[in-house]
Amino acid sequence: MPELIAPIAGNVWKVLVAVGDKVELDDELVILEALKMETPIYCDDAGTVTEIKVKEGDAVNEEDVLIVID
Amino acid sequence: MMETDWSKVLEVFGSGIIGVFLVMFLLQILTQLSTRIIDFVENKNKDKTLVSVPQEAVAKEKA
Amino acid sequence: MFDILRELIFTSGFVSLSGGNIIMWMISFVLLYLAIKKQYEPLLLLPIAFGILVVNLPLTFLMDPEHGLIWFFYHYGIELDIIPPLIFLGLGAMIDFGPLIANPKTLLLGAGAQAGLYVTFFAAVLFGFDLQEAGSIAIIGGADGPTTIYLTSKLAPHLLGATAVSAYAYMALVPIIQPPMMKLLTTDAERKIVMTKLRPVSKLQKICFPIVTAMTIMLVVPPAAPLISMLMLGNLFKESGVVERLTNAASNELMNVVTIFLGLSIGATMTAATFLSPKVLFIFFLGLFAFAISTGAGLLMAKFMNLFLKDKINPLIGAAGVSAVPMAARCVHKVGSEANRRNYLLMYAMGPNVAGVIGTVVAAAILLKNLG
Repeated sequence: MPELIAPIAGNVWKVLVAVGDKVELDDELVILEALKMETPIYCDDAGTVTEIKVKEGDAVNEEDVLIVID
Repeated sequence: MMETDWSKVLEVFGSGIIGVFLVMFLLQILTQLSTRIIDFVENKNKDKTLVSVPQEAVAKEKA
Repeated sequence: MFDILRELIFTSGFVSLSGGNIIMWMISFVLLYLAIKKQYEPLLLLPIAFGILVVNLPLTFLMDPEHGLIWFFYHYGIELDIIPPLIFLGLGAMIDFGPLIANPKTLLLGAGAQAGLYVTFFAAVLFGFDLQEAGSIAIIGGADGPTTIYLTSKLAPHLLGATAVSAYAYMALVPIIQPPMMKLLTTDAERKIVMTKLRPVSKLQKICFPIVTAMTIMLVVPPAAPLISMLMLGNLFKESGVVERLTNAASNELMNVVTIFLGLSIGATMTAATFLSPKVLFIFFLGLFAFAISTGAGLLMAKFMNLFLKDKINPLIGAAGVSAVPMAARCVHKVGSEANRRNYLLMYAMGPNVAGVIGTVVAAAILLKNLG
């Protein structure tokens, strides 16, 4: 099951999808905020969002799982 | 106007560039060295705790 | 009745007002606009702009030696070199050297960008500045406000306003100045390079780094001591994790307090008589040149290192070797993600970026040793 992991440490600024959404390759799923800069995280695989592990405002580390996609 | 002392200019120019590189290079070597040493020490400590835990457990069982 | 009125008019500032004063008011209004409306480094630009305004109101004697209020701030804060090291204490308490410790090679990138600074030194001498002035102008290329102020106050105090304002102005203009240089000196393929993951850095390593760095740099270039010792002490506060109150005091309260005095004093050095000369225009021009050349030197250094490295680095991070933290790193990240949107260079760029701070201090110390 593909997972979307955080490429950099930062805070979750916005989660742009909800559980059950269908997502395509290169969709913007999450926007992280690090050093006062918004960094969009793009989808690596097409599929359906089955679980969102973070909410807006959470602090995440590099390599943390953000979203699980089926 | 004051005559420019070009040999001094070249000296400042050259010694500056070389100096900055040397200092930063030295710092790089020392950082790498201290990282190695700390890695080594930390790994050794980790090994020790891994070994010592079962021994304690064994000692307790015996008691 | 008439006499009193007449005396009021003749002791007022209006009579002593000069055309130069009014031009300085205009400059101050422009800076106020940039600070408030555009938010270009407002924490410094706002007090600087207000300092310019008040010092160009005649007969206030705010900058009179031994009398004026702002003169005391200036004398004790800047002439005696107290404020820039205190700013560095706060900076140290905020900087995370982790990305640098994880990838010590980036220290060389911090050195690479400083090469641009010496090129500018050369250029400034060609323009007819004397050696001390040229050194103060060159350091603008390091894009580090406190270091620029520290060095200028020692080498060429009469240029303080111009070099300080251009250093802070160009720091704010990083997103405009750097991308054209980056695109000029790197290929699309190079910008797409994704870097290998950084190794984790343990707490002990982060604690040792400021101690080792402080000892090394101060032993090799003692004139760097005031800035480096404070920077590393601040960082040790932060990384030790046992003096949270001191860390917060250094990075918040103390930093904010001295920033007020720094900005106001810098602004107050810019009276019409000292600031309105063709030299100042040259300083702004040479400062921009310094900044662009330093960016280019960092990029070329990264490309040069790639000739020898097995794990190629993305040459863009070389541009972060100028020490505008974290503006330069952000800029690298942005340009990198334009080339390849799965390229997250932010943390990789923070390595050379904080190395740039150290590099600029070392460069300043060497200039000071040779020219002071």
